[in-house]
Amino acid sequence: MTFTYKTLAMSVTAVAAMGLAGLAQAEYPEEDITYIIPFDPGGESDVTARFQEPILEEVLGVSVNVTHRPGGGGAVAWSEFQNSAEPDGYEIIGVNIPHIIGQPIQRNDAGYETDNWRIVTFFHSTPNALIVSDDSPYDTLEDLVEDAKENPEAITLGGSGTYSANHLDMLRFEKEAGIDLTYIPFSGTGPLKGALEGGHVAGIFNYTMLGTEMADSVKVLAVAAEERVKALPDAPTFKEQGYDIVGGAYRGVAVPKGTPEDVVATLEDAFAEANRQITEKQEPLGFVMEYITGDEIDEVMAMLVEAYGPILEEAE
Amino acid sequence: MIVRLNTDIAAGVLGLVFGALLWFPRADIGRLSIIFPRAILLVLTLISIALIVKGFIKPSGRQIEISGSPRRLVTVIIGFFLWWGLVEVLGFLLTTLLAFFALTWYLARVETVVTWQRMLTWTPVILVLVGVFYLTFKEVLNVRLPSGLFF
Amino acid sequence: MEMLLEALTALLTFESILTVLVGVSAGLFIGAMPGLTATMALAMLLPFTFSMEALQGLIALGAVYMGSIYGGAFTAILINTPGTPSSIATTFDGYPMARQGRAYEALAAATIASVVGGIVGVIFLLILAPPLARLAVAFGPSEMFWVAMLGLTLVASLSSDSLLKGLLGGCIGILLSTIGVSPVGGESRFTFGYPPLQGGIELIVALIGLFVIPELLTMAAEGRGALPGGSELRKKEVSIAKIAKHIFSKPANLIRSCLIGQVIAIIPGAGGNVTSLVAYNEARRFSKDPKSFGKGNVDGVVASESSNNVMVAGSMVPLLTLGIPGAPPDAIILGVLLMHGLRPGLDLFTQSGVLTNGFILSMGLAALMLLPVGLLGGRLIHRVVIRTPYYFLVPSIAMVTILGTFALRNSMLDVGIMLILGTAGYFLRLIGIQAAPIVLGLILGGIAEQGYVQTLMAAVVDPIPWLRLVSNPLSMVLAGLVVLGAATALVPMWLARKGLLDKVEEDSGGSS
Repeated sequence: MTFTYKTLAMSVTAVAAMGLAGLAQAEYPEEDITYIIPFDPGGESDVTARFQEPILEEVLGVSVNVTHRPGGGGAVAWSEFQNSAEPDGYEIIGVNIPHIIGQPIQRNDAGYETDNWRIVTFFHSTPNALIVSDDSPYDTLEDLVEDAKENPEAITLGGSGTYSANHLDMLRFEKEAGIDLTYIPFSGTGPLKGALEGGHVAGIFNYTMLGTEMADSVKVLAVAAEERVKALPDAPTFKEQGYDIVGGAYRGVAVPKGTPEDVVATLEDAFAEANRQITEKQEPLGFVMEYITGDEIDEVMAMLVEAYGPILEEAE
Repeated sequence: MIVRLNTDIAAGVLGLVFGALLWFPRADIGRLSIIFPRAILLVLTLISIALIVKGFIKPSGRQIEISGSPRRLVTVIIGFFLWWGLVEVLGFLLTTLLAFFALTWYLARVETVVTWQRMLTWTPVILVLVGVFYLTFKEVLNVRLPSGLFF
Repeated sequence: MEMLLEALTALLTFESILTVLVGVSAGLFIGAMPGLTATMALAMLLPFTFSMEALQGLIALGAVYMGSIYGGAFTAILINTPGTPSSIATTFDGYPMARQGRAYEALAAATIASVVGGIVGVIFLLILAPPLARLAVAFGPSEMFWVAMLGLTLVASLSSDSLLKGLLGGCIGILLSTIGVSPVGGESRFTFGYPPLQGGIELIVALIGLFVIPELLTMAAEGRGALPGGSELRKKEVSIAKIAKHIFSKPANLIRSCLIGQVIAIIPGAGGNVTSLVAYNEARRFSKDPKSFGKGNVDGVVASESSNNVMVAGSMVPLLTLGIPGAPPDAIILGVLLMHGLRPGLDLFTQSGVLTNGFILSMGLAALMLLPVGLLGGRLIHRVVIRTPYYFLVPSIAMVTILGTFALRNSMLDVGIMLILGTAGYFLRLIGIQAAPIVLGLILGGIAEQGYVQTLMAAVVDPIPWLRLVSNPLSMVLAGLVVLGAATALVPMWLARKGLLDKVEEDSGGSS
């Protein structure tokens, strides 16, 4: 082959391209990673992230900085992320279901789309649970259902947020059981404890975690999971009692659309490892560890969109 | 600087304007969420009207006094907003340093002319002050300050 | 009892005492910075506590909390800016005192009051935790609504100049609190199609905006600082002993403020932001010289600062016994407890008794530490602020507030909101609308709305839904207090306007 500048140029470019490609793939991650939590410090998402942080740093070999960007139930952080984050894997954001499903449907200015990113994994779920106080007249779910049939709308159930996981599953329960309850939204899990203890609501439809936290003073009538939750062995599931309700909050992380697949794979592994190591801390608190990645994510999302979509649209 | 203004009427008008601003988007807002704001908007309107009426009958103040120089006031206000706007563009450190120098120079001018020498003596102080806070927030407290074009 | 002694010995190690000292100093510094709050201080400390053992971590958090609530008084007195929302009422008399050259007196008074308050809070926590906790859960939606209303009657008494303007400010504050996502209904309100506004207006942002910025603008416009310096100061230096004597010679003020602090501290959600205001208001109501409040009466400072420090340990009552955080910083402490596998409740006091009691006692130690740290630090900061020329002071404070506001939620929008509110606040002040009612409306608007709507939702089966608002005994008591409070605030004013006409003319001409 005759030596021409063209050949030279092409060879140099080829080598450079290989070198650059090599560099790009070589070692993700090389810089610090920012892990954005769309909620206030001290909350469940935050505490989990803090547990995960040291293990992620160990596995990935770089510093992982947890920062908070609360506002709008997460919407502020999510909309900012979708608008401005770079798809290079150095910015990851915590995501929560069903928030990211419900908010864009419900609000016309949420600022983001449910699927405008690449969800890496869901690492745990907190199934919903129907909890009443120890001295409540209801001992089983059926007691409550019977009472509801006789006194429609009289039974008040507190929950965290409106059209949140708590609320949506309560609505599903109402439909399945053919009863009318009254849902009282509270601004988070914290106030629910006080409301139940003080007798301001007849029961609460919240997550399993409250069931474990308040273990000595409450009865968990039902849990919305496939099988009984390890931390609450005596609590029957909705399914066992004849109501096909499985739901709750799932937490995971996402990166912007267009992030390279190997970056996503690295993150998947890191979070799976983190999950394994923090299982013994989280399970007693009522969390259910999940290892949902890749296609399973789409399945779960689709299932939830199907389950909750109609209710949300109705509420529009 | 003294501005002749009936403070009661001014307050009342302000109240009505504010109320109007929030009154119009209410079409989009659902039933549950509008109950409370609507009630307060009503109260606001009533109070504003009462204030305007009072302004005519028994005004409490007929003038307002802006102490000092209005020109300096407006300049500093604009300065603050510029500072805010430029942080995203030039990055926090640079913008703050610039803003600091500018403000200090501008405010010290009041007493005497500011000489270059004087500004030079300030430089280390300003650098240390801004630097210490910037580093504390960035490194110790892990706050991601905007970095703009430079740093 | 032996558990207490055991806890005490665990506490009196060199390591723990050092932690408390460092914690209090750090907390003081953070609390004094406008824009940095106790909650933020704790959130920032959180990662560090992971590497510490449970007791050390809790001690550190408690010390920082105590220090930062106290620290808010510094800027409140020196530059009319509450460093933390719990010190809002300290500005009312603290700043006038500073303008009269009595800044050090105010600082010393605040210190002593805070120490007393902190210790009283710890005592309440140790002795009265269980019954207080039961009281805490009695506050449900309807009760919270009345608490908010009670807080709003403060607006009436705080606006001695013009009731209408004060109420207007309060309404504006309440409406500002509705911006964002509604607590009931989950929809976004008043965001004008701009997604970041879903976060609403954060209290601290409004606080700094409405208190600091107008102060800075005034300094800039006038071309000088606000405080007298140098020779004038030396004439008015008062000894600490004298100040202490004065404070303790009025035990009623101290006792009443501490009680108020404790009761409000256990009300979930209202937290420390409101304690100082209520205590201040009551101090004025019961004082022999109410007119002097707002013009530099040290009793106002004492009331405000003692009540807010009671809150530190006091708000832990529902937290430790039931796991219900009374104030935002408690949520972080709850997180730490859960992370170390400690569950709030009776177990905490029996099984982990040494830990729990050690933690509680450490807060008492922290309160004591406020005395040396505060008096020394106070003198230092006071000197620095007095000596700094205003042309350094203005940009410095501006920089710290911008940093602090940004650090709150990592949001430049918040900084923008702060500046807008601040500029507006300057002009509002000129036409007679003060910052305090607006901030009060902002704090209480959300609480009032939630309480109101939640009660009415639960009352959907009642024939007359509104009756639910007064169906519980506690609600009735609170509602009665609201009526009483409003009446006692309004009636004297009304009488003054009718009966003492010349007094009215004297008070209202050109006031702003």
